[in-house]
Amino acid sequence: MRRPTALLLGGLAALAALPLVVTQTYLLHMVILILFYIALTAAWNILTFSGKVSLGHCAFFGLGAYTSTILLVKWGVIPWIGLLAGIGVSLLGALTMTVPLLRLRGPMFSLATIAYGEVLRRVAILWRDLTAGSEGLTIPFTPGVLNMCFTSKTVYYYMFLVLAIGAVGISYWLYHSATGFHLRATASDEEAAQALGIDTNRVQVVALMWSAGITGALGVFYAQYVYMIDPDLVFSGTLFAIQPALNGIIGGLGTVWGPVLGAALMTPLGEFLRSYLGHVRQGLNFFIYGVTLIVVVMVLPGGIISAFAALRARLGGGARRSSGEEAA
Amino acid sequence: MALLSVDRLTKAFGGLVAVSEVSFEIGQGEILGLIGPNGAGKTTIFNLLSGLLPPTRGAILLEGQDITGIPTFRRSRMGIGRTFQIVRPFDGMSVLENVMAPILARERHPGVARRQALEALERVGLTAEADLDPKELTLARRKRLELARALATRPKLLLLDEVLAGLNPVEVQEALPLIPRLRDEGVTIFIIEHIMAALMSVSDRVLVMDQGALIAAGTPAEVTANPRVIEAYLGEEATSA
Amino acid sequence: MNELFLQVTVSGLLIGGVYALLSIGLTMIFGVVRIINFAHGELMMLAMYLTFWLHSSHGVDPYLSLLVVAPAMFVLGVAIQRLVVQPLLEAPALMKVFATVGLYIALQNLALMLFTADFRTIQTPYASASFRVGAISVSEPRLYAFLCAILMILVLWAFLKFTLVGKALRAVAENRTVSALMGIRVTRLYLLAFGMGSAITGVAGTLLLPFSYVFPTIGSIYTMVAFVVVVLGGMGNMLGAFFGGLFIGLVESFSGTYVSPAIKEAAYFVIFILVLLVRPQGLFGMGKGNEEVGLK
Repeated sequence: MRRPTALLLGGLAALAALPLVVTQTYLLHMVILILFYIALTAAWNILTFSGKVSLGHCAFFGLGAYTSTILLVKWGVIPWIGLLAGIGVSLLGALTMTVPLLRLRGPMFSLATIAYGEVLRRVAILWRDLTAGSEGLTIPFTPGVLNMCFTSKTVYYYMFLVLAIGAVGISYWLYHSATGFHLRATASDEEAAQALGIDTNRVQVVALMWSAGITGALGVFYAQYVYMIDPDLVFSGTLFAIQPALNGIIGGLGTVWGPVLGAALMTPLGEFLRSYLGHVRQGLNFFIYGVTLIVVVMVLPGGIISAFAALRARLGGGARRSSGEEAA
Repeated sequence: MALLSVDRLTKAFGGLVAVSEVSFEIGQGEILGLIGPNGAGKTTIFNLLSGLLPPTRGAILLEGQDITGIPTFRRSRMGIGRTFQIVRPFDGMSVLENVMAPILARERHPGVARRQALEALERVGLTAEADLDPKELTLARRKRLELARALATRPKLLLLDEVLAGLNPVEVQEALPLIPRLRDEGVTIFIIEHIMAALMSVSDRVLVMDQGALIAAGTPAEVTANPRVIEAYLGEEATSA
Repeated sequence: MNELFLQVTVSGLLIGGVYALLSIGLTMIFGVVRIINFAHGELMMLAMYLTFWLHSSHGVDPYLSLLVVAPAMFVLGVAIQRLVVQPLLEAPALMKVFATVGLYIALQNLALMLFTADFRTIQTPYASASFRVGAISVSEPRLYAFLCAILMILVLWAFLKFTLVGKALRAVAENRTVSALMGIRVTRLYLLAFGMGSAITGVAGTLLLPFSYVFPTIGSIYTMVAFVVVVLGGMGNMLGAFFGGLFIGLVESFSGTYVSPAIKEAAYFVIFILVLLVRPQGLFGMGKGNEEVGLK
């Protein structure tokens, strides 16, 4: 068996056995949060394969969360059906609002996506009949598999583990598929790609659909995990739009494993900074985030993954391989 | 029927007319050259043919079918391939992956695409560099990559935009025989080139443009003797720089 | 009904003057340096805090504090250009996005650290004063803000049109490469443009504070307002930014009065998206920066 595959299987086995070792509730919650952010970052990162960066992914997250929760609270629809609806609504949202924006240049596109998230947040606040406005919605605690509601944190752990593996898996599959090649070509040089027969518009839409759909699904699962949602939470740009972007660029933009590394590193780090520094001065932890982001962009724009690649190139010697070959 | 037919093609950018009422045909299996002083509109013609620019007026017909409104990527799939004057390899992808990308537009299986990409690299002599990053290649090798990529789309008509520019005389002599060889393999070629001697030696026919208009057409011998052509180039060296 | 309409219009135009100034600050930076600065609103926010601090700790009248705020913001702008933007000038656009997003996060939280999340405003003797013109009530601080904004815009216009440096700025905005070839010190002008844009934006903040609040997250709204205006007016078009500012002021006033105050902010975002979808070159035609938006 090849080394990377063995490593991967070993890692998965360890993750599967983790709850046997980690039983303390807070730690388990921490791990769940890491898995959640790995999934969220991987989903967000799919769009970056095309070279476009969305800073408004909280829009899809919130759409997913609200769709399933409203269906559950108002009409008793079980969350598993709500999940499908949530994905559907996210896809619809992406199709109607974000797809037309794809023709904008990178920075302008990013700016416009922020606007979209903000509009939806305000709509959620104002449309009280549907969303109960700022008070938010509460999911009743009725344990049962059909209700996607569990007493044991361990079950949630496995749920998010599957989600993380799923999101990263889809990311990997897309990256190595024909669509992945086309996305990377489009990101590099859209005109040249078109002249070579690549439908650059279509592949960007495909990437966006996957990215938005998975993000919406995560919104549903998140809602079911935290039981209470409100507009400022699930449409939070900071938590569900900027954070995955931050994780992504620190880990390595546009690669498969970059988001995993970034999320695995930044989530506990963020929690730590929030707990300890947040008491020293409110805002200090995020201030450090901001400065870190600037520094990373200047010093290591390719993220941690690129540092590994550079290190491997220097140590490995032999045939030089381009980052495309080894990133996944 | 001509492979490509262009009818009164015109492109204006506001007040500036880059291409004016240009009409010509390219026959199957021809090597057609396009020359003209700088700013004559040659690359604009290529951009119009490949669809990167929409024409202001006029029509383009491929095998009798009007492709004037058809987007670039579809024209590529219909058989119009092109290389760019300034090479544009894809970042972060190896030489082989660069060639696989266009193949994957018609071939879904990466394994099959890889095999065909290797064949394309072999055609242009780049097999040894398959796993390298394009940035590590010399300009001459990068031009071959540009060519291999375009060939990977299995074009009926290949637009070569200054594929010899920037090469030293030795590299030019190495690259030149590729062009008739491609024609022998069934690709019709439309070529822009500043190196007069090279272009004249490979072309069956030559078109001459000046300030957006077509001023002459004929065999290389006819065109070089044409007084209007000489006048257009007045003051310019008619050999490579 | 007619009276209300006039009142709303006047209020809208008055605030529009401030928005115009804010957006002209952005246009100055974007037009010359060609960077989409996600932290633009934070410049306004910081200036507002500075004004607040000068007033609350030292009793400085806001209009007087302009003498301190403007230069301070100029220096900040130059610093940002030199430390954050200049090193990334040749980097891919996406990296510049991330850098300014990082700047936005850092500045927003810097304000949070220094001033906490409380809403701040200043009480000046004339804060609630107003006078009547016929049936219309005109709030004094809003009027002063409008007049100062107009004055600054005129001064800026004259500077760009008649001074050598102003012409150099316009040249760089028109064509960076050619300007450099003509011997214009482009790097220096970037610093100047960012400094000036930052100062102008800061002034808008100072003018706004007497009748508005400042809190750490207010910057994001103003970033969006600035960009809505600039896109509406045609990227890089000063005149467009001016009229765009007035227009957005009117939109805010009308939507706030006739629909609901809560709608106000949503309105900016919606207009932003609509303009980008429907008429990306703006209401007032092409500015020089439209390629950045994604238009040929």
